[in-house]
Amino acid sequence: MSRRPKYDRDIRCIKCKVNNGKIVVRHAVYCKECFPALLNSKVKRSFEPFINSKPESSRKKSLKASGNLFIGFSGGLGSTVLLDLISRIYFSNKLEIKSQEAKARGGKDHPRNEPVWKKASVCYVEISAGFPEMVDRTDDVRRLIEEKYEAFEFIPVRLEDAFDPKWWDKAGGKAALDVIANGNSEDLFFSTVCGDSISDPTAKLHSYISALPTRTAVDSGIRTLTRLLLLHTAHHNQSSHLLLGTSLTSLSIGLISSISQGGGYSVREESQEEWNPSGTSPIRLVRPLQEITMKECSIWAWWNGLQVLGREKHQQGIGALTKNFIVGLERDYPSTVSTIARTCAKLTPKVGAGGLCILCERPLQPGVQEWKSSISIRATTNSPSAVPSPLLKSLTPHLCYSCHTTLTSRSSKSIPSSASASLVLPLWASAHLQEPSNDTRSIDQTVQEEVKEAGTDVWIARKVGRDEMKASIGDFLIE
Amino acid sequence: LMTTISLRVEFGGGLELLFSNEKRHTLTLPALVPSDNNTNNVKFLSASASALDEVTKTKPTDVQYLMYHLRDHLLRDRPELFMENQTVRPGILVLINDTDWELEGEGDYVLQNNDEIVFISTLHGG
Repeated sequence: MSRRPKYDRDIRCIKCKVNNGKIVVRHAVYCKECFPALLNSKVKRSFEPFINSKPESSRKKSLKASGNLFIGFSGGLGSTVLLDLISRIYFSNKLEIKSQEAKARGGKDHPRNEPVWKKASVCYVEISAGFPEMVDRTDDVRRLIEEKYEAFEFIPVRLEDAFDPKWWDKAGGKAALDVIANGNSEDLFFSTVCGDSISDPTAKLHSYISALPTRTAVDSGIRTLTRLLLLHTAHHNQSSHLLLGTSLTSLSIGLISSISQGGGYSVREESQEEWNPSGTSPIRLVRPLQEITMKECSIWAWWNGLQVLGREKHQQGIGALTKNFIVGLERDYPSTVSTIARTCAKLTPKVGAGGLCILCERPLQPGVQEWKSSISIRATTNSPSAVPSPLLKSLTPHLCYSCHTTLTSRSSKSIPSSASASLVLPLWASAHLQEPSNDTRSIDQTVQEEVKEAGTDVWIARKVGRDEMKASIGDFLIE
Repeated sequence: LMTTISLRVEFGGGLELLFSNEKRHTLTLPALVPSDNNTNNVKFLSASASALDEVTKTKPTDVQYLMYHLRDHLLRDRPELFMENQTVRPGILVLINDTDWELEGEGDYVLQNNDEIVFISTLHGG
């Protein structure tokens, strides 16, 4: 049976047209010599337009970042390849400087000669405290960074730091009392506590994880915590850029997985975001590998003898299912994976954001509660409609659709909820809730009114009585 | 005419954990094998070419047969993490003499003496 070739034209390299190809990347053939240049150009294309705080007006391209560089490292394939490529492209001169001639090669403004960032750090978030079966690998990661990447400072962070007032204080966060929400209801009523009930950050982390309703939620919850820990630590280190090693494959997986959990509003943020909750010094979260497939990363790691420590992963949930699907798709139809990312990049939200979600610090879309109440059965006609006591404060208006879903969406396969699913919030969320500007009126209401005035096309649900319903369709009834 | 071929097989990206944690293996396979990829018949190692034809349909040993051989004889754990639907599981890269197997005909590539085949997982811990 003859098989249709998985590459265009012939087996010669598409770049140099001389050498025989060694790798097929989405139907294009590359030789081993031209492959590094391919990856370099993809990294630069995804990263360099966002290095300078203002886009370059003149043709002369000089790269100069406003702050330090911060690289998130998970130990996985993407992180490993990211660190290696960034080190080669932007930091190789630090080691060459001793042996190099005084005259800079490539001209005064060549990126190789003037350091783009004053300082660069690699940050690793250890998540093992949340899962008894996992092993702490901080020391392995430290050894790897210190041995192979001397130009970078190693900064270890732990997942439970999200609940540790000492870390929060060091990171420059405003002091906040612990906030505990009731995970059993959609309203997520919360109260502040004086930090004595559970004081140990690891215990708080366990409590947080136990309160999450599904394995999917645990996966998403951990991802959000990790991202926020990286951002806050980056901010504390005066960084202007945070880099993550998300490959094209991982990006497509993340997009589909996020959208299926209600994260459609933050589709753009999955690819790139500018984070600036304090309004003072923005950090650009960039994913320089987002045009590079997992296959290319893998071959790069293999050909360069990169040691991949590996990353603990969850085997269940929407994330895992999506990964299996996309990886299978990538093998048989490689172009579809890039189509997912490209299509999502074209999407923009219909309505402007109404503030930030306190948990994930991404834009908060208006109308979350309205939408949820119109698509789900909340109460039968016989049960009295719940009138929230004015004394009980709800977390729901402060959460984006995706975070609310993560905290409350149960399924038939839900982890059985304990009698008190008390959800301790990470400190940044508690701090947001205790900000004086966060008034009690729901963001939903405020934005809805603004939207209505603006006359944009947003459906707002309104409950009507039976008589009104009958009157509006009266002409169509056959009597 | 060689009746057996010697091969170097290497595992990367964590795949070695399924193969006794050994990254490098050397093995010898017959030059002709059953077309149905049956790896159980030990007689193949000593039988002559003409005798084989009478018994069953044969083919020159290819990468697909090698996969079945590895799964049946070297794999210690979790075969579904190595093979799926008669080929390697999605997410496993195969290099034949340092070249993407997609350029060499994938499973149909006929193995030569002293070939090096590498199986790299992009999924395990990645």
